[in-house]
Amino acid sequence: MSNPSASHRPSPEGTSPSAFLKGLKCRECGRLYDLAAIHVCDFCFGPLEVDYDYEAIRRVLTRDAIQKGPNSLWRYKHLLPVVNEPTIGLHAGMTPLLKADRLGKALGLKRLYIKNDTVNHPTLSFKDRVVAVAINRARELGFKTVACASTGNLANSVSAHAASAGMNCFVFIPHDLEAGKILGNLIYKPTVVAVKGNYDDVNRLCSEIGAEYPWAFVNINIRPYYAEGSKSMAFETAEQLGWRIPDQVVVPIASGSLLTKIWKGFQEFSSLGIVDAHPGLKVNGAQASGCSPVYQAFMAGRTQFVPVKPKTIAKSLAIGNPADGYYSLDVVGKSHGQVEAATDPEIVEGMVLLAETEGVFAETAGGVTVACLRKLAKKGAIRPDDLTVAYITGNGLKTMEALTGYLPEPVGIDPTLASFRKIVNPS
Amino acid sequence: MTRLRFHMTFPEERVKEPILYEISQKFRVVPNIRRADVSDSSGWVELELEGELPEIERTIDYLRKRGIHVDPLEKTILEG
Repeated sequence: MSNPSASHRPSPEGTSPSAFLKGLKCRECGRLYDLAAIHVCDFCFGPLEVDYDYEAIRRVLTRDAIQKGPNSLWRYKHLLPVVNEPTIGLHAGMTPLLKADRLGKALGLKRLYIKNDTVNHPTLSFKDRVVAVAINRARELGFKTVACASTGNLANSVSAHAASAGMNCFVFIPHDLEAGKILGNLIYKPTVVAVKGNYDDVNRLCSEIGAEYPWAFVNINIRPYYAEGSKSMAFETAEQLGWRIPDQVVVPIASGSLLTKIWKGFQEFSSLGIVDAHPGLKVNGAQASGCSPVYQAFMAGRTQFVPVKPKTIAKSLAIGNPADGYYSLDVVGKSHGQVEAATDPEIVEGMVLLAETEGVFAETAGGVTVACLRKLAKKGAIRPDDLTVAYITGNGLKTMEALTGYLPEPVGIDPTLASFRKIVNPS
Repeated sequence: MTRLRFHMTFPEERVKEPILYEISQKFRVVPNIRRADVSDSSGWVELELEGELPEIERTIDYLRKRGIHVDPLEKTILEG
Protein backbone atom coordinates (compact mmCIF):
# COMPACT_ATOMS: atom_id res chain seq x y z
CA MET A 1 0.00 0.00 0.00
CA SER A 2 1.65 3.16 -1.09
CA ASN A 3 1.45 6.49 0.57
CA PRO A 4 1.23 8.90 -2.35
CA SER A 5 2.50 11.96 -0.56
CA ALA A 6 5.64 10.19 0.60
CA SER A 7 6.32 8.52 -2.74
CA HIS A 8 6.36 11.93 -4.37
CA ARG A 9 9.13 13.33 -2.26
CA PRO A 10 11.55 15.05 -4.59
CA SER A 11 14.54 12.91 -5.37
CA PRO A 12 17.83 14.26 -4.07
CA GLU A 13 19.17 14.89 -7.54
CA GLY A 14 19.21 13.79 -11.12
CA THR A 15 15.64 14.37 -12.19
CA SER A 16 16.60 16.50 -15.17
CA PRO A 17 16.18 14.76 -18.52
CA SER A 18 19.20 13.47 -20.40
CA ALA A 19 19.79 13.72 -24.12
CA PHE A 20 17.79 10.54 -24.66
CA LEU A 21 15.34 10.43 -21.76
CA LYS A 22 12.34 12.73 -21.74
CA GLY A 23 10.77 11.67 -18.45
CA LEU A 24 8.27 9.17 -17.13
CA LYS A 25 4.91 8.61 -18.76
CA CYS A 26 1.75 6.93 -17.51
CA ARG A 27 1.04 3.77 -19.48
CA GLU A 28 -2.69 4.35 -19.12
CA CYS A 29 -3.44 8.08 -19.36
CA GLY A 30 -0.19 9.35 -20.87
CA ARG A 31 0.50 11.99 -18.21
CA LEU A 32 4.14 13.05 -18.01
CA TYR A 33 6.37 13.13 -14.94
CA ASP A 34 9.97 13.99 -14.06
CA LEU A 35 12.62 11.26 -14.03
CA ALA A 36 12.16 10.75 -10.30
CA ALA A 37 11.82 7.77 -7.98
CA ILE A 38 8.09 7.34 -8.64
CA HIS A 39 6.23 4.46 -10.22
CA VAL A 40 2.50 5.24 -10.25
CA CYS A 41 0.50 7.95 -11.97
CA ASP A 42 -0.94 10.28 -9.33
CA PHE A 43 -4.06 10.79 -11.37
CA CYS A 44 -5.16 7.33 -12.57
CA PHE A 45 -2.82 5.02 -10.61
CA GLY A 46 -1.50 3.56 -13.88
CA PRO A 47 2.12 2.36 -13.97
CA LEU A 48 4.79 4.79 -15.14
CA GLU A 49 7.23 3.96 -17.92
CA VAL A 50 10.36 5.66 -19.17
CA ASP A 51 9.70 8.00 -22.09
CA TYR A 52 12.62 8.10 -24.54
CA ASP A 53 13.49 10.65 -27.18
CA TYR A 54 13.60 8.17 -30.04
CA GLU A 55 14.43 10.82 -32.62
CA ALA A 56 17.58 11.74 -30.72
CA ILE A 57 18.45 8.07 -30.27
CA ARG A 58 17.92 7.36 -33.96
CA ARG A 59 20.57 9.96 -34.82
CA VAL A 60 23.31 8.19 -32.88
CA LEU A 61 22.37 4.53 -32.52
CA THR A 62 23.64 2.25 -35.27
CA ARG A 63 24.70 -1.38 -35.44
CA ASP A 64 28.28 -0.18 -35.66
CA ALA A 65 27.94 2.01 -32.55
CA ILE A 66 26.47 -0.92 -30.64
CA GLN A 67 29.25 -3.28 -31.71
CA LYS A 68 31.89 -0.79 -30.59
CA GLY A 69 30.32 -0.73 -27.12
CA PRO A 70 31.26 -2.87 -24.13
CA ASN A 71 30.60 -6.61 -24.09
CA SER A 72 27.68 -6.17 -21.70
CA LEU A 73 24.12 -4.84 -21.72
CA TRP A 74 25.61 -1.33 -21.59
CA ARG A 75 26.31 -1.52 -25.31
CA TYR A 76 22.59 -0.59 -25.54
CA LYS A 77 22.84 2.25 -23.03
CA HIS A 78 21.02 4.69 -25.34
CA LEU A 79 17.91 2.59 -24.78
CA LEU A 80 18.40 2.14 -21.04
CA PRO A 81 17.25 4.70 -18.45
CA VAL A 82 20.52 5.98 -17.02
CA VAL A 83 21.72 9.53 -17.46
CA ASN A 84 25.44 9.15 -16.73
CA GLU A 85 28.00 6.51 -17.64
CA PRO A 86 27.20 3.33 -15.66
CA THR A 87 29.57 2.49 -12.82
CA ILE A 88 27.99 -0.63 -11.32
CA GLY A 89 27.01 -3.96 -12.88
CA LEU A 90 29.37 -3.40 -15.77
CA HIS A 91 29.47 -7.08 -16.74
CA ALA A 92 25.78 -7.95 -16.77
CA GLY A 93 24.31 -9.21 -20.00
CA MET A 94 25.78 -10.41 -23.31
CA THR A 95 25.14 -13.97 -22.21
CA PRO A 96 25.45 -16.75 -24.81
CA LEU A 97 22.75 -17.44 -27.38
CA LEU A 98 23.16 -21.17 -27.94
CA LYS A 99 22.04 -22.97 -31.06
CA ALA A 100 20.22 -25.82 -29.34
CA ASP A 101 20.35 -28.55 -31.97
CA ARG A 102 20.10 -31.51 -29.61
CA LEU A 103 17.21 -30.05 -27.64
CA GLY A 104 15.63 -28.98 -30.91
CA LYS A 105 15.88 -32.53 -32.24
CA ALA A 106 14.18 -33.87 -29.11
CA LEU A 107 11.34 -31.38 -29.57
CA GLY A 108 11.10 -31.51 -33.36
CA LEU A 109 12.42 -27.96 -33.84
CA LYS A 110 15.11 -27.28 -36.43
CA ARG A 111 16.00 -23.68 -35.58
CA LEU A 112 15.93 -23.48 -31.82
CA TYR A 113 18.12 -21.18 -29.71
CA ILE A 114 18.54 -20.85 -25.96
CA LYS A 115 19.26 -17.45 -24.44
CA ASN A 116 21.39 -18.60 -21.55
CA ASP A 117 21.14 -16.24 -18.57
CA THR A 118 22.24 -19.01 -16.20
CA VAL A 119 25.70 -17.48 -16.60
CA ASN A 120 24.79 -13.84 -16.08
CA HIS A 121 27.13 -11.75 -13.94
CA PRO A 122 27.41 -11.49 -10.99
CA THR A 123 24.65 -13.74 -9.58
CA LEU A 124 23.71 -16.13 -12.39
CA SER A 125 20.22 -14.95 -13.25
CA PHE A 126 18.52 -12.43 -15.53
CA LYS A 127 17.88 -10.27 -12.46
CA ASP A 128 21.46 -9.03 -12.88
CA ARG A 129 20.21 -7.07 -15.89
CA VAL A 130 17.37 -5.26 -14.18
CA VAL A 131 19.27 -4.70 -10.96
CA ALA A 132 22.31 -3.30 -12.79
CA VAL A 133 20.06 -0.68 -14.34
CA ALA A 134 18.15 -0.04 -11.09
CA ILE A 135 21.26 0.45 -8.96
CA ASN A 136 22.89 2.83 -11.41
CA ARG A 137 19.71 4.87 -11.60
CA ALA A 138 19.29 4.78 -7.82
CA ARG A 139 22.80 6.21 -7.41
CA GLU A 140 22.06 8.91 -9.95
CA LEU A 141 19.00 9.83 -7.93
CA GLY A 142 21.15 10.15 -4.82
CA PHE A 143 19.99 7.10 -2.88
CA LYS A 144 22.35 5.56 -0.33
CA THR A 145 20.17 2.55 0.50
CA VAL A 146 18.60 -0.06 -1.78
CA ALA A 147 15.97 -2.61 -0.82
CA CYS A 148 13.85 -5.43 -2.14
CA ALA A 149 11.46 -8.12 -0.99
CA SER A 150 12.66 -11.43 -2.34
CA THR A 151 13.20 -15.07 -1.52
CA GLY A 152 15.77 -15.76 -4.22
CA ASN A 153 17.30 -14.34 -7.39
CA LEU A 154 16.29 -10.73 -6.87
CA ALA A 155 17.70 -10.66 -3.33
CA ASN A 156 20.95 -12.21 -4.58
CA SER A 157 21.40 -9.66 -7.28
CA VAL A 158 20.43 -6.61 -5.21
CA SER A 159 22.73 -7.72 -2.37
CA ALA A 160 25.69 -8.30 -4.69
CA HIS A 161 25.28 -5.05 -6.61
CA ALA A 162 24.77 -3.06 -3.41
CA ALA A 163 27.95 -4.56 -1.98
CA SER A 164 29.98 -3.61 -5.03
CA ALA A 165 28.48 -0.11 -4.98
CA GLY A 166 29.12 0.30 -1.25
CA MET A 167 25.43 0.98 -0.62
CA ASN A 168 23.32 -0.06 2.34
CA CYS A 169 21.01 -2.93 1.50
CA PHE A 170 17.82 -4.26 3.07
CA VAL A 171 16.27 -7.54 2.00
CA PHE A 172 12.83 -8.51 3.32
CA ILE A 173 11.81 -12.15 3.60
CA PRO A 174 9.04 -14.13 5.33
CA HIS A 175 10.30 -15.33 8.73
CA ASP A 176 9.66 -19.01 7.96
CA LEU A 177 11.77 -19.11 4.79
CA GLU A 178 14.23 -22.04 4.81
CA ALA A 179 17.66 -20.88 5.98
CA GLY A 180 19.36 -22.27 2.88
CA LYS A 181 17.39 -19.93 0.66
CA ILE A 182 18.97 -16.88 2.14
CA LEU A 183 22.53 -18.14 2.75
CA GLY A 184 23.68 -16.99 -0.66
CA ASN A 185 22.69 -13.45 0.27
CA LEU A 186 24.31 -13.22 3.68
CA ILE A 187 27.80 -13.37 2.18
CA TYR A 188 27.19 -9.89 0.73
CA LYS A 189 26.29 -8.56 4.21
CA PRO A 190 22.90 -6.99 3.52
CA THR A 191 20.49 -6.47 6.41
CA VAL A 192 18.07 -9.35 6.03
CA VAL A 193 14.76 -8.62 7.73
CA ALA A 194 12.63 -11.68 8.49
CA VAL A 195 9.03 -10.52 8.80
CA LYS A 196 6.73 -12.49 11.10
CA GLY A 197 3.78 -13.13 8.86
CA ASN A 198 2.85 -14.74 5.57
CA TYR A 199 3.71 -13.65 2.04
CA ASP A 200 0.79 -11.19 1.96
CA ASP A 201 2.02 -9.58 5.17
CA VAL A 202 5.55 -9.17 3.79
CA ASN A 203 4.11 -7.74 0.62
CA ARG A 204 2.00 -5.22 2.43
CA LEU A 205 4.75 -4.16 4.82
CA CYS A 206 7.18 -3.61 1.95
CA SER A 207 4.72 -1.37 0.18
CA GLU A 208 4.33 0.70 3.34
CA ILE A 209 8.09 0.84 3.95
CA GLY A 210 8.62 1.78 0.32
CA ALA A 211 6.30 4.73 0.83
CA GLU A 212 7.83 5.87 4.10
CA TYR A 213 11.60 5.40 3.86
CA PRO A 214 13.86 7.32 1.48
CA TRP A 215 15.26 4.15 -0.06
CA ALA A 216 15.50 2.84 -3.56
CA PHE A 217 13.12 -0.11 -3.47
CA VAL A 218 14.11 -1.65 -6.77
CA ASN A 219 10.76 -3.10 -7.73
CA ILE A 220 8.62 -0.37 -6.17
CA ASN A 221 9.72 3.25 -6.58
CA ILE A 222 12.59 2.37 -8.96
CA ARG A 223 10.48 -0.07 -10.97
CA PRO A 224 10.12 2.06 -14.12
CA TYR A 225 13.94 2.02 -14.51
CA TYR A 226 14.50 -1.49 -13.16
CA ALA A 227 12.06 -3.08 -15.59
CA GLU A 228 13.75 -1.52 -18.61
CA GLY A 229 16.84 -3.67 -18.03
CA SER A 230 14.88 -6.65 -19.34
CA LYS A 231 14.82 -5.14 -22.83
CA SER A 232 18.48 -6.04 -23.15
CA MET A 233 17.41 -9.69 -23.51
CA ALA A 234 15.69 -8.76 -26.77
CA PHE A 235 18.48 -6.47 -27.98
CA GLU A 236 21.09 -9.18 -27.45
CA THR A 237 18.90 -11.83 -29.07
CA ALA A 238 18.46 -9.72 -32.20
CA GLU A 239 22.16 -8.87 -32.42
CA GLN A 240 23.31 -12.45 -31.74
CA LEU A 241 20.94 -13.78 -34.41
CA GLY A 242 22.69 -11.55 -36.94
CA TRP A 243 20.45 -8.48 -36.51
CA ARG A 244 17.09 -10.11 -36.88
CA ILE A 245 13.97 -10.75 -34.85
CA PRO A 246 13.01 -14.42 -34.33
CA ASP A 247 9.68 -15.94 -35.38
CA GLN A 248 8.82 -17.19 -31.89
CA VAL A 249 10.00 -16.54 -28.37
CA VAL A 250 9.11 -18.43 -25.20
CA VAL A 251 9.40 -16.37 -22.03
CA PRO A 252 8.70 -17.37 -18.42
CA ILE A 253 6.08 -15.23 -16.68
CA ALA A 254 6.49 -14.17 -13.06
CA SER A 255 5.45 -10.51 -12.77
CA GLY A 256 5.03 -10.46 -16.55
CA SER A 257 7.52 -7.63 -16.91
CA LEU A 258 10.19 -9.67 -18.73
CA LEU A 259 7.75 -10.77 -21.42
CA THR A 260 6.44 -7.27 -22.07
CA LYS A 261 9.94 -5.79 -22.13
CA ILE A 262 11.26 -8.39 -24.57
CA TRP A 263 8.42 -7.40 -26.87
CA LYS A 264 9.22 -3.72 -26.32
CA GLY A 265 12.92 -4.31 -27.02
CA PHE A 266 12.20 -5.89 -30.39
CA GLN A 267 9.75 -3.09 -31.23
CA GLU A 268 12.32 -0.42 -30.35
CA PHE A 269 15.03 -2.05 -32.44
CA SER A 270 12.77 -2.32 -35.46
CA SER A 271 11.28 1.17 -35.16
CA LEU A 272 14.82 2.61 -34.93
CA GLY A 273 15.85 0.70 -38.04
CA ILE A 274 18.43 -1.44 -36.23
CA VAL A 275 16.65 -4.56 -37.49
CA ASP A 276 13.90 -5.17 -40.01
CA ALA A 277 10.41 -5.25 -38.57
CA HIS A 278 8.96 -8.71 -38.11
CA PRO A 279 5.18 -8.47 -37.68
CA GLY A 280 5.03 -12.28 -37.50
CA LEU A 281 6.89 -12.48 -34.18
CA LYS A 282 4.88 -14.54 -31.70
CA VAL A 283 5.50 -13.97 -28.00
CA ASN A 284 4.61 -17.03 -25.90
CA GLY A 285 4.41 -17.13 -22.12
CA ALA A 286 5.34 -19.97 -19.77
CA GLN A 287 4.01 -20.42 -16.25
CA ALA A 288 4.10 -23.10 -13.59
CA SER A 289 0.70 -24.78 -13.17
CA GLY A 290 0.92 -24.13 -9.44
CA CYS A 291 1.02 -20.39 -10.05
CA SER A 292 -0.61 -19.67 -13.37
CA PRO A 293 -2.98 -16.70 -13.19
CA VAL A 294 -1.97 -15.48 -16.66
CA TYR A 295 -2.29 -18.95 -18.20
CA GLN A 296 -5.73 -19.40 -16.65
CA ALA A 297 -6.94 -16.06 -17.99
CA PHE A 298 -5.49 -16.85 -21.42
CA MET A 299 -7.22 -20.22 -21.54
CA ALA A 300 -10.52 -18.68 -20.47
CA GLY A 301 -10.20 -15.94 -23.08
CA ARG A 302 -10.31 -13.24 -20.41
CA THR A 303 -8.32 -10.03 -20.26
CA GLN A 304 -8.53 -10.00 -16.47
CA PHE A 305 -6.83 -12.52 -14.27
CA VAL A 306 -7.65 -13.74 -10.80
CA PRO A 307 -4.84 -13.67 -8.19
CA VAL A 308 -3.76 -17.10 -6.92
CA LYS A 309 -1.91 -18.57 -3.95
CA PRO A 310 1.32 -19.98 -5.41
CA LYS A 311 2.12 -23.65 -4.89
CA THR A 312 4.94 -24.71 -7.16
CA ILE A 313 8.59 -25.71 -7.08
CA ALA A 314 9.28 -22.84 -9.49
CA LYS A 315 9.68 -20.32 -6.68
CA SER A 316 11.20 -17.65 -8.88
CA LEU A 317 7.95 -17.56 -10.89
CA ALA A 318 5.65 -17.75 -7.85
CA ILE A 319 3.92 -14.40 -8.14
CA GLY A 320 0.25 -14.76 -7.41
CA ASN A 321 -0.84 -11.27 -8.46
CA PRO A 322 1.57 -10.24 -11.21
CA ALA A 323 1.97 -6.49 -11.68
CA ASP A 324 2.28 -6.84 -15.44
CA GLY A 325 -0.08 -9.78 -15.84
CA TYR A 326 -2.59 -7.72 -17.80
CA TYR A 327 0.08 -6.27 -20.08
CA SER A 328 1.68 -9.65 -20.72
CA LEU A 329 -1.72 -11.04 -21.76
CA ASP A 330 -2.04 -8.05 -24.07
CA VAL A 331 1.36 -8.70 -25.72
CA VAL A 332 0.64 -12.41 -26.13
CA GLY A 333 -2.73 -11.56 -27.66
CA LYS A 334 -1.53 -8.96 -30.14
CA SER A 335 1.44 -11.08 -31.24
CA HIS A 336 -0.84 -14.13 -31.67
CA GLY A 337 1.27 -16.11 -29.22
CA GLN A 338 0.08 -18.48 -26.54
CA VAL A 339 0.52 -19.11 -22.83
CA GLU A 340 1.31 -22.60 -21.55
CA ALA A 341 1.74 -24.05 -18.08
CA ALA A 342 3.83 -26.90 -16.67
CA THR A 343 3.26 -29.12 -13.65
CA ASP A 344 6.02 -29.72 -11.11
CA PRO A 345 7.06 -33.09 -12.60
CA GLU A 346 7.05 -31.53 -16.08
CA ILE A 347 9.25 -28.72 -14.77
CA VAL A 348 11.85 -31.20 -13.52
CA GLU A 349 11.65 -33.12 -16.81
CA GLY A 350 12.31 -29.83 -18.59
CA MET A 351 15.36 -29.13 -16.42
CA VAL A 352 16.73 -32.61 -17.06
CA LEU A 353 16.04 -32.46 -20.80
CA LEU A 354 17.85 -29.13 -21.12
CA ALA A 355 20.81 -30.39 -19.12
CA GLU A 356 21.19 -33.71 -20.93
CA THR A 357 20.80 -32.25 -24.41
CA GLU A 358 22.56 -28.91 -24.15
CA GLY A 359 24.68 -29.11 -21.02
CA VAL A 360 22.81 -26.20 -19.46
CA PHE A 361 21.76 -26.56 -15.83
CA ALA A 362 18.81 -24.23 -15.36
CA GLU A 363 16.81 -23.46 -12.25
CA THR A 364 13.16 -24.47 -12.07
CA ALA A 365 12.05 -21.46 -14.12
CA GLY A 366 14.16 -22.84 -16.98
CA GLY A 367 12.36 -26.14 -16.55
CA VAL A 368 9.07 -24.27 -16.94
CA THR A 369 10.27 -22.65 -20.15
CA VAL A 370 11.49 -25.92 -21.67
CA ALA A 371 8.36 -27.84 -20.61
CA CYS A 372 6.11 -25.17 -22.13
CA LEU A 373 8.27 -24.99 -25.26
CA ARG A 374 7.80 -28.74 -25.61
CA LYS A 375 4.01 -28.38 -25.33
CA LEU A 376 3.90 -25.55 -27.85
CA ALA A 377 5.97 -27.58 -30.31
CA LYS A 378 3.91 -30.70 -29.77
CA LYS A 379 0.62 -28.98 -30.52
CA GLY A 380 2.03 -27.21 -33.57
CA ALA A 381 1.87 -23.70 -32.17
CA ILE A 382 5.62 -23.57 -32.87
CA ARG A 383 6.46 -25.15 -36.21
CA PRO A 384 9.68 -27.07 -36.95
CA ASP A 385 11.12 -24.34 -39.19
CA ASP A 386 10.27 -21.40 -36.95
CA LEU A 387 13.29 -19.48 -35.73
CA THR A 388 12.62 -19.87 -32.01
CA VAL A 389 14.34 -18.49 -28.91
CA ALA A 390 13.63 -19.82 -25.41
CA TYR A 391 14.69 -17.69 -22.46
CA ILE A 392 16.49 -19.51 -19.64
CA THR A 393 16.63 -17.05 -16.78
CA GLY A 394 18.48 -18.61 -13.84
CA ASN A 395 21.10 -21.15 -12.81
CA GLY A 396 20.20 -24.63 -11.57
CA LEU A 397 22.62 -24.42 -8.65
CA LYS A 398 20.05 -22.10 -7.05
CA THR A 399 17.26 -24.68 -6.93
CA MET A 400 19.03 -27.99 -6.30
CA GLU A 401 16.35 -29.05 -3.82
CA ALA A 402 13.81 -29.33 -6.64
CA LEU A 403 15.72 -32.31 -8.02
CA THR A 404 15.66 -34.37 -4.84
CA GLY A 405 14.40 -37.85 -5.65
CA TYR A 406 14.23 -37.24 -9.39
CA LEU A 407 17.77 -38.16 -10.42
CA PRO A 408 19.46 -41.59 -10.45
CA GLU A 409 21.85 -42.55 -7.66
CA PRO A 410 25.59 -42.80 -8.47
CA VAL A 411 26.75 -46.23 -9.66
CA GLY A 412 28.68 -47.88 -6.79
CA ILE A 413 31.72 -50.06 -7.50
CA ASP A 414 34.58 -51.67 -5.61
CA PRO A 415 37.95 -49.97 -6.02
CA THR A 416 39.04 -52.48 -8.69
CA LEU A 417 39.28 -52.38 -12.45
CA ALA A 418 37.25 -55.58 -12.65
CA SER A 419 34.39 -53.98 -10.81
CA PHE A 420 34.50 -50.96 -13.11
CA ARG A 421 34.56 -53.20 -16.20
CA LYS A 422 31.35 -54.87 -15.05
CA ILE A 423 29.66 -51.48 -15.09
CA VAL A 424 31.01 -50.38 -18.46
CA ASN A 425 30.40 -53.68 -20.15
CA PRO A 426 27.93 -55.74 -18.14
CA SER A 427 27.85 -58.57 -20.71
CA MET B 1 -5.03 10.65 8.70
CA THR B 2 -3.41 8.15 6.38
CA ARG B 3 -4.01 7.52 2.71
CA LEU B 4 -3.11 4.10 1.33
CA ARG B 5 -3.54 2.69 -2.17
CA PHE B 6 -4.83 -0.77 -2.97
CA HIS B 7 -5.61 -3.14 -5.81
CA MET B 8 -8.73 -5.17 -5.03
CA THR B 9 -9.97 -8.14 -7.01
CA PHE B 10 -13.62 -9.15 -6.70
CA PRO B 11 -14.67 -12.77 -7.39
CA GLU B 12 -17.77 -13.46 -9.46
CA GLU B 13 -20.03 -13.96 -6.44
CA ARG B 14 -19.16 -10.49 -5.10
CA VAL B 15 -19.24 -8.46 -8.30
CA LYS B 16 -22.85 -7.31 -7.91
CA GLU B 17 -22.61 -6.36 -4.24
CA PRO B 18 -22.16 -2.70 -3.18
CA ILE B 19 -19.16 -3.54 -1.05
CA LEU B 20 -17.38 -0.22 -1.34
CA TYR B 21 -20.54 1.57 -0.19
CA GLU B 22 -20.73 -0.94 2.65
CA ILE B 23 -17.22 -0.20 3.92
CA SER B 24 -17.81 3.53 3.83
CA GLN B 25 -20.85 2.97 6.09
CA LYS B 26 -19.27 0.41 8.36
CA PHE B 27 -15.85 2.00 8.86
CA ARG B 28 -14.54 5.55 9.10
CA VAL B 29 -12.72 5.40 5.79
CA VAL B 30 -13.16 7.29 2.55
CA PRO B 31 -12.71 5.18 -0.61
CA ASN B 32 -11.56 7.09 -3.68
CA ILE B 33 -11.66 4.96 -6.85
CA ARG B 34 -9.13 5.81 -9.58
CA ARG B 35 -9.31 2.84 -11.95
CA ALA B 36 -11.60 -0.13 -12.28
CA ASP B 37 -12.65 -2.86 -14.68
CA VAL B 38 -15.73 -4.89 -13.88
CA SER B 39 -17.33 -7.65 -15.89
CA ASP B 40 -19.99 -10.28 -15.16
CA SER B 41 -17.45 -12.79 -13.96
CA SER B 42 -14.94 -10.69 -12.00
CA GLY B 43 -13.62 -7.23 -11.47
CA TRP B 44 -10.82 -5.16 -10.04
CA VAL B 45 -10.66 -1.75 -8.50
CA GLU B 46 -7.68 0.47 -7.74
CA LEU B 47 -8.46 2.94 -5.01
CA GLU B 48 -7.20 5.02 -2.17
CA LEU B 49 -8.51 4.59 1.35
CA GLU B 50 -8.27 7.57 3.65
CA GLY B 51 -8.68 7.26 7.39
CA GLU B 52 -6.83 6.39 10.58
CA LEU B 53 -4.44 3.49 10.02
CA PRO B 54 -6.15 1.04 12.44
CA GLU B 55 -9.48 1.78 10.74
CA ILE B 56 -7.98 1.11 7.31
CA GLU B 57 -6.56 -2.15 8.62
CA ARG B 58 -9.94 -3.20 10.00
CA THR B 59 -11.46 -2.39 6.63
CA ILE B 60 -8.92 -4.58 4.84
CA ASP B 61 -9.52 -7.46 7.25
CA TYR B 62 -13.26 -7.15 6.65
CA LEU B 63 -12.83 -7.14 2.87
CA ARG B 64 -10.59 -10.21 2.97
CA LYS B 65 -13.15 -12.04 5.08
CA ARG B 66 -15.75 -11.19 2.43
CA GLY B 67 -13.59 -12.92 -0.19
CA ILE B 68 -12.11 -9.82 -1.76
CA HIS B 69 -8.44 -10.19 -2.71
CA VAL B 70 -6.66 -7.11 -1.40
CA ASP B 71 -3.09 -6.30 -2.41
CA PRO B 72 -1.01 -3.16 -2.37
CA LEU B 73 -1.40 -1.13 -5.54
CA GLU B 74 1.88 -2.67 -6.73
CA LYS B 75 0.31 -6.16 -6.39
CA THR B 76 2.91 -8.85 -5.66
CA ILE B 77 6.18 -7.21 -4.59
CA LEU B 78 7.81 -10.25 -3.01
CA GLU B 79 9.74 -11.88 -5.85
CA GLY B 80 11.72 -15.08 -6.13
